[in-house]
Amino acid sequence: MSLPGTRVLERIREGRGFRLKRWDPTLPIWIGAALFVVFLMLLPVGSIFVTSLYNELGLTLRNYLEVFTEEAYLKAIWNTLVISFWVGVIAVLIGSLLAWLVTRTDLPWKRGIRALVMASFVTPPFLGAFAWTLLAGPNAGLLNNLYRSVSGAQEPLFNIFTMTGLIFVMALYSFPYVFSMIANVCELISSDLEDAANILGANKWKIALTITLPLTAPALFGGFILAFLHSLSLFGAPAILGLPAGLHTITTQIWAFFQYPPRMDLAAAFSIPLLLATMGLIALQKKLLGRRGYSTVGGRGGQKRLLSLGMFRVPVLLLVLGILSLSVFLPYGILLKAALAKAWALPLTWENFTLGNFAFAFFQYGDTQAAILNTFKLGILTATVGTIIAALIAYITNRQLLRGARYLTFFVLAPLVIPGIVLAVGLFIAYTRPPIILYGTVWILFVAYLTKEMPIGFSQTESTFKSIHPELEDATRIMGANRLQALKDITVPLARSGLIAAWSFIFIGVIRELSASILLFTPQSKVVSVVIFDLKEEGQIGAIAVLGILLLAVSFLVILGVQRIVGRDLFATKE
Amino acid sequence: MATVSLRGLTKKFADTAAVNELDLEIGDQEFVSLLGPSGCGKTTTLRLMAGFLQPEAGEIRVNQEVVSSPSVLVPPERRNMSMIFQSYAVWPHMTVAENVAYGLKFKKLSRAEIEQKVDRLLQLVHLLDLKERYPGELSGGQQQRVALARALVVEPQILLLDEPLSNLDANLREEMRFEIRRLHEEFRITTIYVTHDQAEAMVTSDRIAVMHQGKILQLGTPEEIFDRPKTRFVAEFIGKTNILKGRLQDGERVYFGEGRSVRVARHDGCKQGVEVIVCIRPHNLFLVGTASEAQEWNQKGYNLFSGVVRRRIYFGDAIDYLVELPLHHLSLRVVSSPSHRYDLGHKLFALAHPNHCVVVREE
Repeated sequence: MSLPGTRVLERIREGRGFRLKRWDPTLPIWIGAALFVVFLMLLPVGSIFVTSLYNELGLTLRNYLEVFTEEAYLKAIWNTLVISFWVGVIAVLIGSLLAWLVTRTDLPWKRGIRALVMASFVTPPFLGAFAWTLLAGPNAGLLNNLYRSVSGAQEPLFNIFTMTGLIFVMALYSFPYVFSMIANVCELISSDLEDAANILGANKWKIALTITLPLTAPALFGGFILAFLHSLSLFGAPAILGLPAGLHTITTQIWAFFQYPPRMDLAAAFSIPLLLATMGLIALQKKLLGRRGYSTVGGRGGQKRLLSLGMFRVPVLLLVLGILSLSVFLPYGILLKAALAKAWALPLTWENFTLGNFAFAFFQYGDTQAAILNTFKLGILTATVGTIIAALIAYITNRQLLRGARYLTFFVLAPLVIPGIVLAVGLFIAYTRPPIILYGTVWILFVAYLTKEMPIGFSQTESTFKSIHPELEDATRIMGANRLQALKDITVPLARSGLIAAWSFIFIGVIRELSASILLFTPQSKVVSVVIFDLKEEGQIGAIAVLGILLLAVSFLVILGVQRIVGRDLFATKE
Repeated sequence: MATVSLRGLTKKFADTAAVNELDLEIGDQEFVSLLGPSGCGKTTTLRLMAGFLQPEAGEIRVNQEVVSSPSVLVPPERRNMSMIFQSYAVWPHMTVAENVAYGLKFKKLSRAEIEQKVDRLLQLVHLLDLKERYPGELSGGQQQRVALARALVVEPQILLLDEPLSNLDANLREEMRFEIRRLHEEFRITTIYVTHDQAEAMVTSDRIAVMHQGKILQLGTPEEIFDRPKTRFVAEFIGKTNILKGRLQDGERVYFGEGRSVRVARHDGCKQGVEVIVCIRPHNLFLVGTASEAQEWNQKGYNLFSGVVRRRIYFGDAIDYLVELPLHHLSLRVVSSPSHRYDLGHKLFALAHPNHCVVVREE
């Protein structure tokens, strides 16, 4: 009996076989995926950089000079920093309070609270901002009307079209990022760590100060940076709430550079500092979280005791629901009312009730049907392609299939530091000229979404592969399967739920995308978020509400469907 | 029929050699253990044999055919080997029967044949009743046996085991050692077994290769390794031992200074007059309480040490003494039967036959 492999070896010796050195029939797949991702990331960033250094006269630094001496532009940068700072602070306060209450106390109705936090996370910030214009606009805002009728005052109670209003709304939709981060850490800190301090003589407050807080401090600061970055990159909310008050931020200013006459060179030069700032902050965040080895905080099996809130249980629950009503109940309520009312500001009586907004949004307004179709086509396509590519890359880096695989991680995660609008600037420059002209088609949106969603797809699939022991695959190989069979029989079935989760994250991310779409759409390639933005200009409030509800409904349906398939809570921090 | 030979095998990770010019010949139907502390390169050696890794230098031959070398790498699926992994690697989404049947998929067998083979193997490992269960519903020991059945059902030429018992609890581990040896005696598959547990290696193996820093320090039967260690590392890694440093002189005597000496077992390779180490296993020493009795043994050729009991630990089936030797400025551990007890501070004599006083090299 001879080894099956020896026949191949004989062929090699006779010179008619192939060399087996490091050869693997699946190698082209890995190399192809790796090259694609590197190309996807390098092109837009490279384009921005190059364009920022040129004007009609040639190589120059004048673009930078112009951007950073003009007072209006500097004001936009200053506004952005102030807004993002306060958004970060408020998001940390709300996010960490809720996370601590949900993970470490006996607060009732925790599942419901988690679901509401998830709803805040899924709500597109531009939609929330729009809803808040209806709630707290100075003239017709519902809450202001209520205040006037109760107090008899003339002045409004709130004006949402201010910097404070903008900070308030952006914080409402940034805190879920902090929440998930802190909740994770809180679940990892076992009570043993606190008990150890207790038995050595520390009291409740001492423990909180010397053990619990230092353990969560890096996550708190990391959460601050995350919320800061999130608000730095938002376009929709500042455009809706800031622009009417003449308040520019970096993102709205970049958008303004694209209005007639377009100043691409200035937009590029203005993008670079945003890019550098996000890079720096991400690096800082990574350093903060990486140093003390968070995965080891809890060890395993550490028991957690829940702090009893005692008589405060109900008041605290009401406080929490109050906070969440600001991000969920009130905005959703006003959207629903606006969608069903002839005049949104009037009470929803039978005379005021109509389905006309739905008819208008879906059948009469010119762009919507095509836009809805585009949005969902792009959502499905990007989610599918994105999941496949992200999974391939995650597999390469996880199993070290290619030399230098860990540098790939850098490229896939790079879009994290590229705000959507900056990415759009890069793609616009790159794909409006030969050799590849995508501008004017939906494909440029596809590329933008694919790039933008790559980090979330990657981190999701990467953690999935991490949880599948490589020996499970090795066992297949040694039993006679090649690598492709091993993937098909073992890895893909085991990774299934992780892949489905990645798909749904990408899908939801795509259908709500505004900040890149706003620069890349053309009349032939509109998407729902852009149509909402257009309708805002036209004051078609009922139609916006209808489309907003559509986006939310589809997002929640996808999440519920996936949770049913996967059989677990997508946003659960444990497991 | 399968012989395996590793020649000059070298594998580096980031410039440090995990396996360093390693040579090993494994005969047909032989059961060889690679034994060593973690990081000694034993698992790397096994993964090189399986074809998961490619060597930087040297080669692996199976039945004289090169299967691994810097220019050739027969992929794992074409080596006709089986492997049992430290994590068992039982596929959680397949039933016990599906797990075991998986490898037969690639062998062009009829459904009936596959089922028959699977059932036979499951019977052998006492899992037939659980064949429709999923791994998540099995205990650790049962999963371990699924992995065994899965590896054996394909009738491999060579079986590789990577610390297969390290995740089991102590009782089960002991039982599975005998099980593995029993299966080897039944199937006679050439087997390479990686472990850091000397008892496992002793029970299962025909020969043991003790590894350290990517090299094999000593290769031999369990008796040879235990009774005739060649280096201090081997002596200390396999079981407990007392270490005495001295100078080899007058043929088979080792001197410790001030004229004190012991007679040692026959040895090869150590020159006269060099510094050597004498190893004496604690259970090869025995204690007597009176000088006259000690003299009697001494006359019969036994080496004699006189000392004082400094520590005594009762283990139930044995007592572990620490005996301080004032004249030698060192202490000896002696394991003796609990039938006779000596108290702390008691003066006594320890005796060892020269055959149990083994000369080893420092490295």
